[in-house]
Amino acid sequence: MTRLPSSTPRLEAASDEGRSVQGRLVPTVAGYARRAALPLIALLLLGVAWEAAVRLSGVADYLVPTPSAVGSRLFDDLGYFLFHGLITLVEALGGFAMGSTVAVLAAGVMAHSRLFERTVYPIALLIKVTPIVAIAPLFVIWFGFGSFPKMMIAALITFFPVMVNTFVGLRSVNPTTLDFFRLLDAGDAQVLLKLRAPSALPYVFAAFRIAVPLSVIGAVVGEWFTGDRGLGSVIIVAHHNIDMPTLFSAIAVLACIGLGLTGITALVERRVLFWHDSQQSGPVL
Amino acid sequence: METAGRKGRGSTVETANAPHISIRRLNHHYGRGETRVAALSDIDLDIQEGEFVSIIGPSGCGKTTLLRIVGGLLTPTQGSVLIAGSSPDEARRQQDFGAVFQDPALLPWRTAEDNVALSIELRGGSNGDSNDHEVATLLTKVGLDGFHGSYPYQLSGGMKQRVALARALAARPRVLLMDEPFGSLDEMTRTDMGYELLRIWEERPTTVLLVTHSIAEAVMLSDRVVVLSSRPGEVVDVVDIGMPRPRMQSIEESKEFADHMARVRGLLKRRTDDSIAV
Repeated sequence: MTRLPSSTPRLEAASDEGRSVQGRLVPTVAGYARRAALPLIALLLLGVAWEAAVRLSGVADYLVPTPSAVGSRLFDDLGYFLFHGLITLVEALGGFAMGSTVAVLAAGVMAHSRLFERTVYPIALLIKVTPIVAIAPLFVIWFGFGSFPKMMIAALITFFPVMVNTFVGLRSVNPTTLDFFRLLDAGDAQVLLKLRAPSALPYVFAAFRIAVPLSVIGAVVGEWFTGDRGLGSVIIVAHHNIDMPTLFSAIAVLACIGLGLTGITALVERRVLFWHDSQQSGPVL
Repeated sequence: METAGRKGRGSTVETANAPHISIRRLNHHYGRGETRVAALSDIDLDIQEGEFVSIIGPSGCGKTTLLRIVGGLLTPTQGSVLIAGSSPDEARRQQDFGAVFQDPALLPWRTAEDNVALSIELRGGSNGDSNDHEVATLLTKVGLDGFHGSYPYQLSGGMKQRVALARALAARPRVLLMDEPFGSLDEMTRTDMGYELLRIWEERPTTVLLVTHSIAEAVMLSDRVVVLSSRPGEVVDVVDIGMPRPRMQSIEESKEFADHMARVRGLLKRRTDDSIAV
């Protein structure tokens, strides 16, 4: 009677999947491959149809290039695209890191000070509703050429979703748990570090899923206005030259960057938030 | 102190001692103006050191409000609560309290043992070996051997509540506040945990204030059962449960147990009938 009732814990719930570690679903390479197979096949078929349509209809290749033309452009000059891709990637990640850091700190202060919240939140909202494309030229003039202005644009576009979500997350603690902390006379620092910050993590990651692709947008938009380096400037130059294969190649590399970053975000999220309800139903990405 | 309190449970003996928790003319309202709702009305209650007191009443009778006031989480509109002569706020600062709620309210990112250790951390103890030992002992005591390293999502509802109980005890509370701690558990787990609580409490005496809506639970656990009426909560009566301790599940078969159940049920029913008549 004093022992455990024989009720089985959730430990065994997922074991029939053959890929559970301590009750949570862990994605495997095979699992990913299986799930990627269908969309890849669909994409391949689409490419074949596209190729056939262009060849049969005789549309000018400066309007719509064939996938094979795009492919040969991309792989003949892969170093060129990787170089510019890397630049865009670094700008996006740098901006994301800066924007998120400032956003998390701002949210932390907002959660503690109503005054700060009421002052800063409307301003942040104003920045958010202003189209980033409209602000980008300004940043280029202010911060000059090089990667810095692009990072600033990426940071700006990243800032708002991360700040809002972190703020909401810091506020969204289980009221009963908060009661427990208060009953045990926990100080503000303890509540922040041991309760609010970890409680905010799922919200922060939800924001990262949005902010990471946004940061790539920010970097590309910045590059449009200074035609020196990065995939954004490659696109602009290709556009002026009506060089469709280059344009499509740059787009393809950007898509890969976006996909890779989103995948990495999801992986990190699963590592960090293994305890959270959102992770109990198996992988989303 | 505790041992004396435990034996001489009769109300006549105890009036001589200063009560551990003393509630005087306690009134509480929510809201103001037209939306003002009276939650508690003129509560007077003395609880002795080491006594196990349950508060029972229809839902919305202010049981939880009363518990929150005692814990210093809520300031009453009127009246006073003293815990060993201190206000609830002071008692909180002296770290007198431990608590178990209906929601286990564990930290989902911590293992069972780290959740229990939370109380020690908040108490200001560093994570030394003796604390590790205390955590392990408590988890064993609540029947969670082999689950020290499990996360809440890996535990069943009853197991989570066991962790919550161990965590409350790790605070070494002088007053243990329990707000329907077994309320969301199934009947069997609920009964099991009730007797486990009794066994642990008999080993580690502390003053317990338990809010429940289960008559059986109140009778089997308590020294006294305080019956509250529905809104505003008033003390209808306080029932002395004079059954000997330690109590085993067999007491549920006894006539005494049945009588106490009937008595509490009658008190609850009477008040409900009254309020319907009004």
